[in-house]
This record gives sequence, structure tokens and C-alpha cells, in this order.
Amino acid sequence: MKQFVIIGNSAAGIAAAESIRQNDKSSKITIISDEGYAAYCRCLISYYLAGEVSEENVVYRPESFYKENNIELLLNKKALSVDADKNRVTLADKSQIGYDALLIATGASPKFPQGIKGLKNKGVFGLRSLKDAKDISGLLPTVSDSACVLGGGLVGLKAGYALNKRGLKVKVIVKSSQVLSQMLDACAAGLIQSKLEENGIEIVMGADAAQILGDNQVKGIKLDSGKEIACSLVIVGKGVSPNIDIGKEAKLKCAEGILTDNHLQSSVSGIYAAGDVCENIDVSIGKTAVNALWPVAVEQGRIAGANMTGKACLYDGSVGMNSIEFFGLPVISLGVYEIKNDAASLEKLEMFDEKRGIYKKLILKEGVIIGAIMAGDIRNSGLFLSLIRGKVNVAVLKDKLLLENFSYPHIAGMTKEKEQMYV
Amino acid sequence: MKNLYYVFKKCVGCKTCELSCALAHSQSGELSEALKEIKLSLPRTTVFAATGENYPVSCRHCKEQKCVSACMAKALTRDAATGMVLHDENRCVGCWMCVMVCPYAAIRPNRKIKLPLRCDRCKDKDQPACVKACPTRAILWEEEPEPKK
Ligand SMILES: Cc1cc2nc3c(=O)[nH]c(=O)nc-3n(C[C@H](O)[C@H](O)[C@H](O)COP(=O)(O)OP(=O)(O)OC[C@H]3O[C@@H](n4cnc5c(N)ncnc54)[C@H](O)[C@@H]3O)c2cc1C
Repeated sequence: MKQFVIIGNSAAGIAAAESIRQNDKSSKITIISDEGYAAYCRCLISYYLAGEVSEENVVYRPESFYKENNIELLLNKKALSVDADKNRVTLADKSQIGYDALLIATGASPKFPQGIKGLKNKGVFGLRSLKDAKDISGLLPTVSDSACVLGGGLVGLKAGYALNKRGLKVKVIVKSSQVLSQMLDACAAGLIQSKLEENGIEIVMGADAAQILGDNQVKGIKLDSGKEIACSLVIVGKGVSPNIDIGKEAKLKCAEGILTDNHLQSSVSGIYAAGDVCENIDVSIGKTAVNALWPVAVEQGRIAGANMTGKACLYDGSVGMNSIEFFGLPVISLGVYEIKNDAASLEKLEMFDEKRGIYKKLILKEGVIIGAIMAGDIRNSGLFLSLIRGKVNVAVLKDKLLLENFSYPHIAGMTKEKEQMYV
Repeated sequence: MKNLYYVFKKCVGCKTCELSCALAHSQSGELSEALKEIKLSLPRTTVFAATGENYPVSCRHCKEQKCVSACMAKALTRDAATGMVLHDENRCVGCWMCVMVCPYAAIRPNRKIKLPLRCDRCKDKDQPACVKACPTRAILWEEEPEPKK
């Protein structure tokens, strides 16, 4: 009987545990979590904060799941270090757990900007955990009616949306010249920004917070321009960084994340990584990257878990992507979403129907789609993702790709999909 | 497990399947009433004309279940007994992750009610409505073939 240990009880950790159980009914599985809950839908915490999703619907796996699958769940326990020579994990309470195979699925943590005074003030939050959402929510009745969000990325905007729904006046402070600069070009970002502004969320562009004001409790923020904005709640949405400390200390090769091979094994045999902490090949850019996404975490967890049991499963990389919707405008971004001025070999196909609020763009390299943005009409996103993943040459379809009636039949047989539809 | 297959050569693109699908999933089941429903029932099957012929498209209930993995709200699950991908409307937040990853574009966003539309094979009936409705018998309701090796 083997002992499998998983650090991290979320998308990647759960997928791995399920996959291990599928392949191995009897071995011991232990999941270590420094949080206090059974697995929950992390991406829904902003919906929970907005009051749109109940706590019950945030549950991803109920407590009964662990019993049914004979998984030992250690809650409120932090893994401190891994001894790769002795195959042992040491927890903060000094207890030790031996393993035959280990998965590091520790996810990521919000980045708090360096050198800003006042980040420790009461009323400053990241938004990463259910506890964060609950703490913010619990504070709302006591704070004034205005909040500032630092950062115009996905989490920042979702936090802003949630607080707007809860009736606060929200200002989002964005350093760059557009929102969502990590997933959208200026055109699509402009559409989103208009939607947010129409609905009462103020976007302050080209500005950064220089200081959080107040002695103990937040009273406002001071921008780099010197301007001061009064508020009693600050949400920091400045991106996340992978929780690689344990891996680094155990001498696993790391870049931004823990580097893994095509079995999702780290540079040390028997230690695997999956999810937001894991770095692997990005299919659309052809280099390694951390694609910190729920679907990627699940897929990596599942494959890592299978490999931990000795079943050889290959991982063929991920594509950076995301889907968002604010106030009725859906936008999906896939792979390379912008041609930087140095890339002469790239080609752009695009259509913009301002009246209907539809913008679609594809980026091709030598006849192969490497990225897409769909705003207002997202129906064919899955086809483009499949074409990106399959590196399919679409030169013959170029004039059809962005048409209204472009559909699966146009590409049937060109991608790797296995399911039969036609006879 | 049974699945829907399309004899595309027989499909004349009349969209009777779309209409019957929308009706079968409407609250009233009557065309005149169904058209007035706020939660307008939209077809789960869609017929596309590509390369001069007609091809219906519907959810495959794939074994690879990309949509289930992508569902960040755990609204999509795979039922081990029937092999069907089930959707829990109560949990769904309309994030469109399933739309983003469906390689057949067979999951369509119903933006009005913020729910994805996909074929549920008329789950509580013995035969999907589109199969019965197709005037040219272009839709087959058959056991899945053994996976190709
Ligand atoms: C508000 C919000 C919105 C999001 N929206 C989207 C979205 O729309 N689409 C999308 O694809 N993704 C979204 N994400 C990202 C998504 O949640 C992550 O990609 C996903 O949760 C990654 O899963 P994971 O298992 O790798 O790590 P995590 O979910 O981060 O889980 C890691 C777990 O490990 C624990 N842990 C860390 N270190 C230790 C330790 N030393 N000992 C014990 N336990 C430890 C952590 O506390 C945590 O519980 C969103 C995230 C947030 C916060």
C-alpha cells in the first residue's frame, strides 16, 4: 500500500485525489490544507461577496466526499517543508508525514505591492480565499460607502463588481492604459470599461496608489499624482504569485512556478506539481508559463494524479485563456491576444460591429491560429481553442472564420476531437 | 449508451429539429405560448450549412468532458451511471467557461437568462424530440459505436 500526499485542497489537489482513487482503490491519500474548509469554488468567492451565490453553492466537494473516497483531510495545517531525500513533509505543528509520491498543489497568493505605506491597515484586503470574502463582507456594514480597488485585472474587476452590487461606490485604480491588460487588447478592454462605467464603477486610469491613508483603519488612498481619495475599504488586485517556497526549499527547479515535465513531475523524482503553482508548456506561445486558471488546475491535477500511481499519462500543455462577463457583456480571450509591434510574421483577422457591440479578433502565425478575442459574441470560442491546441492550419478557411455561421462542421476532421457526430 | 447521430446527406436544413427542441424545452410545450415565454426556450440542436450541405450540431456528452473540468461552479457533472453530462441550473453562474472549451461549439450561451444551452437528450423522455420530429429521418438515436482503437 502506498501513501500519497497532496499539499493543497483545491482545484488541482481534488482532481489529483480523484484521479489517484480511480486508479488505486486502496492506498492512503492525505490532503493537507492550511484553510479551514472542505474544497470550495475559489472562482465564486467574488459572486459570494456580491451576494449572488449562497455559501452552500460555493461548496466544491462536501465533507462527505472525503469519507466516501477514503481520503484523509487535514485542515488548518500548513506544510512547512519537504525533505526530498527522506520523502517526508513537515507540518507547522512539527508533525511529519512520509510519502511515496507527493503533489504540490499550493496554488498562488495575491501580490501586495512593495513599499506602499499603510498596507497593514484595517480594511485592506486581497481577494483569494473564502475567508477573505467573508471578512470583507463582515466589514461592509461598518465601513463608509466607498471602496477603492487597486488593479484592473480579473480579480480586481470582479471585486469591484461585487462591491458595486453590494451598494458601495467603487473606484478601480488602474496603472496601465486599459483594464484587463493581461488578457485583452485595447478595443475589447474599452468595451468592458464602458460597461463598468455605465453601471457606476469608476475607473481611474494611468494611476497607482502611493500610500494607504489612515493610522490604523483605512481612511483613503493617495495616488502617485498626489491626489487623495477617501475610502474605508481597499482591495488589492495586483495579480498573484505562485506559492513555490516549499518547492524551492526542496531544491525543485523553479522559474515563476515549479517547473514540470510532460508527466507533471518536478525536477525531483516522485514530487509532482499542478495548478497555479505549476509551470509547464504554453501551447500558444511555445514557452513555459504559469497559466493560473481553474480548468488548467483541474486537468493538471488529474494527469499528475494518474502519473503518481504509476500510470503514464502525458500532459500536452495549456493555453492562457479566460471568460468574463460584466453587466451582460461576455468576453473570451484565448492565447496570444495582441500583436506586439515586433512581430511581423503574425497576421490579424478582425471584425467590429459597434452597433451590436460585437468585436472578434484572431491572430494567426503561418496559417495557424495562436490567439483570439471574442466580445459580445462568444459562441465559437471553443472551436478556436480547439484549433489553437491542435495547431491546425486554417489558411483555407480564413474568409469564413469570423462569419456568423462559422461552426464545427467547417472544421470537423481537422482537429483532434474524437467524438463522432455525422454518419 | 445512446447518442444522437446525423445522416448529413439526408438533412435538408429545414430546422424542424431546432423548433421541436425549443418546444420540448419550453414551459408550455405549445408553440404559440412558448414564443411568449420570458425564459425563451432556444434550440439545443443547431443546423449549420457548411460546404453546401447541412450539419446539425449538438452536445456529444464527451468522454473527455472538457466542460466538466472547466466548470468553476460545479454546475456541470458527469453522471457515472448514464454517462451523461448533467447541468445544475441552480449552481450555474453563467461564466461561460463551458462555452469557451467546448470543441464542438455545441454549448451555446443563452445570454438573457445567463445559462448555457446544451442537448440534454430530452432526459426524461424515451426518445429526444428532434428524432421524432425530423421529417427526413436524418437524426439517428443509436448506441454509441465502440471506440476506435
Ligand atoms: C476571485 C477569483 C476569481 C477567479 N476567477 C477565475 C476565472 O474566472 N477563471 C479561471 O480560470 N480562474 C479563476 N480564478 C483562478 C482560480 O481560482 C485558480 O486558478 C485555481 O483556484 C487554482 O487552483 P489550485 O488548486 O492550483 O490552487 P488554489 O485554488 O490556490 O489552492 C491552493 C490551496 O493550497 C493551500 N496551501 C498553500 N500553501 C500551503 C501549505 N504550505 N500548506 C497547506 N496548504 C497550503 C492554499 O491555502 C489553498 O487552499 C479566480 C481566482 C480568484 C481568487
